[in-house]
Amino acid sequence: MALLSVRDLLVRFQTHDGTVYAVNGVSFDLDEGETLGLVGESGCGKSVTNLAVMRLLPRPAGRIVGGHVYFQDEDLVGLDEAEMRDLRGKEIAMIFQDPMTSLNPVLTIHEQMVETIKAHKKVTDKEARARAIELLAMVGIPDPEPLLRNFPHQFSGGMRQRVMIAMALALEPKLLIADEPTTALDVTIQAQVLELLGRLAADHGTAVILITHDLGVVAGMTRRTNVMYAGFVVESATTADLFAKPSHPYTVGLLHSMPRLDAQPGEPLIPIEGTPPDLRFAPVGCPFAPRCAWRLERCFAEMPQLEPISPTIEVQKTGPKATHRSACWNQPTADEALAGRPLREGFAAAAVPIGVAR
Amino acid sequence: MATATGITIAPTARVSRGLWHDAFRRLMRNRPAIVGMVFIAIFVIGAILAPYIAPYGPTVGSLANNLQGPSPAHLMGTDLQGYDEFSRVLYGARISLTVGVIAVMFGLIGGTTVGAIAGGAGGLVDGFLMRVIDVLLAVPGILLAIGIVAWLGHGEIQIMLAVGISYSPMFARLLRGSLLALRESDYVTAARSMGASPVRILLRHMLPNALTPLIVQATLAAATAIIDVAGLGFLGLGPGDPRVAEWGEMLTDSSRFLQSAPYLILFPGAAIVISAVGFNLLGDGLREALDPRLKR
Repeated sequence: MALLSVRDLLVRFQTHDGTVYAVNGVSFDLDEGETLGLVGESGCGKSVTNLAVMRLLPRPAGRIVGGHVYFQDEDLVGLDEAEMRDLRGKEIAMIFQDPMTSLNPVLTIHEQMVETIKAHKKVTDKEARARAIELLAMVGIPDPEPLLRNFPHQFSGGMRQRVMIAMALALEPKLLIADEPTTALDVTIQAQVLELLGRLAADHGTAVILITHDLGVVAGMTRRTNVMYAGFVVESATTADLFAKPSHPYTVGLLHSMPRLDAQPGEPLIPIEGTPPDLRFAPVGCPFAPRCAWRLERCFAEMPQLEPISPTIEVQKTGPKATHRSACWNQPTADEALAGRPLREGFAAAAVPIGVAR
Repeated sequence: MATATGITIAPTARVSRGLWHDAFRRLMRNRPAIVGMVFIAIFVIGAILAPYIAPYGPTVGSLANNLQGPSPAHLMGTDLQGYDEFSRVLYGARISLTVGVIAVMFGLIGGTTVGAIAGGAGGLVDGFLMRVIDVLLAVPGILLAIGIVAWLGHGEIQIMLAVGISYSPMFARLLRGSLLALRESDYVTAARSMGASPVRILLRHMLPNALTPLIVQATLAAATAIIDVAGLGFLGLGPGDPRVAEWGEMLTDSSRFLQSAPYLILFPGAAIVISAVGFNLLGDGLREALDPRLKR
């Protein structure tokens, strides 16, 4: 049984400009101890999906309007706020993007860490403090005891993110949601923090959802990856399969728009033309169709389901959960994925984006 | 310290010792704020030491030598009753400062309570409380205060309550606004993601971060409170006891002699202005000290 099963999750935001269709039927499973990557560009719904899992959507605008979030067989969507509070931090913890703003500036590290521990465990201040020191040592902060008295602004970005990781792992949660944990850090620190996160999650058997727009991070950290676009999961595969055989035009586009070390000199990057759709319009058909070179007539009318990729494309199966699924009516072939454009008759070499305003 | 590369790294000039410590240091470098503090200090010391430094009591004098001009015996002259004006200005500082400051405290307590409930609870509670605040704000503050004094009667407590109530909507608004902004801040979401309770988030995470604009506003409000208290006194809604020296009432009493004894209106007027300016300068200094982005 999966630790976390998200089923047909629908999230809407009511804004002054109308309804924003942020998450449009996302489903995925996560096993205990598994690491799942969630990639996609800004605004594709990856953070919103996870805030919905935590039931931390900004209220009253954001609302789960459909679907289920089963965590250890319990539907979180039906829980009340007090029950959710018991889960947060203890069973499901979260690390945020910007360590500069996710620690309270007026409280010392000691107060924030002890607070987290005492929110869920009946321990004395002394025990909580000892645990805090132990956790800070675990995330590689040398001589942590005197640092407990410090305020967040006295720490560097990398140190703060380590503190955040220590707090998130304080109660040994079963699931850790890391929302772009390294985006705000510089590259060398990124590598250290990712290594630390990966090692600690493995040590504690913590399942991790890693949200990122950096495909490199996904490649190094995760076993499975979901690619999201405009509130849909458009492709889901083991990370190895995803990179080897991208089977959705958007994934192909993402991979080809990223510079590679093994590229031929002079080989151009192929950008994805156009812009993501305006989520204030209810989705009709495939949201990627206006930017897609592989599009068909039906793409504009009908959203394809996320289904195992057609048998004509070889699947490198590495396990029962390795099913490679794609939501596309006209999946790119292996050659096309390599070329980054359709090679068949009747398709333009590159997509001509269609205006998204309808 | 020289290194092998010959590059000298200057030791960090000063270690940051927390928000309040830094703010205090910035305040101490702010000249207008120092001037403001000196003004306030003069009146505070004058008020505390009034029985010792005032040459006469507030109600000592004889009608025989009333309405005298400033002289070595009476530095600021004498009023209609023959009381020493200088002594009365000193004793008046007691009333004006305590009533002004306590009135602001009342306003702060009432306003922050309402603002914290509204900003913390949100939804219908917020909507209801803010409409009440809107109604209060629609009535000019001094008019509201006059109404409250007229209702509750004369007396220092009544004045404090009146000015306090008329100031509370401002504080409620201010705190609620800060809380609404903070509610969406990363560290509040982070605290929620750790399972912190709403009360704890409000009291531990949000209120301390919303405090600085309140401190600034309260200091500035102390300036207007002194003027408002004097204003109520001027309108005859002061402590109600002619023996009590109150700057506002002193102005009223002196206004009849504007032609013959202008000094009588000059000194209490100057006292009101200088103490109000003192609180304003301190408030502006605090604003700059507590918000490092506001650099002149």
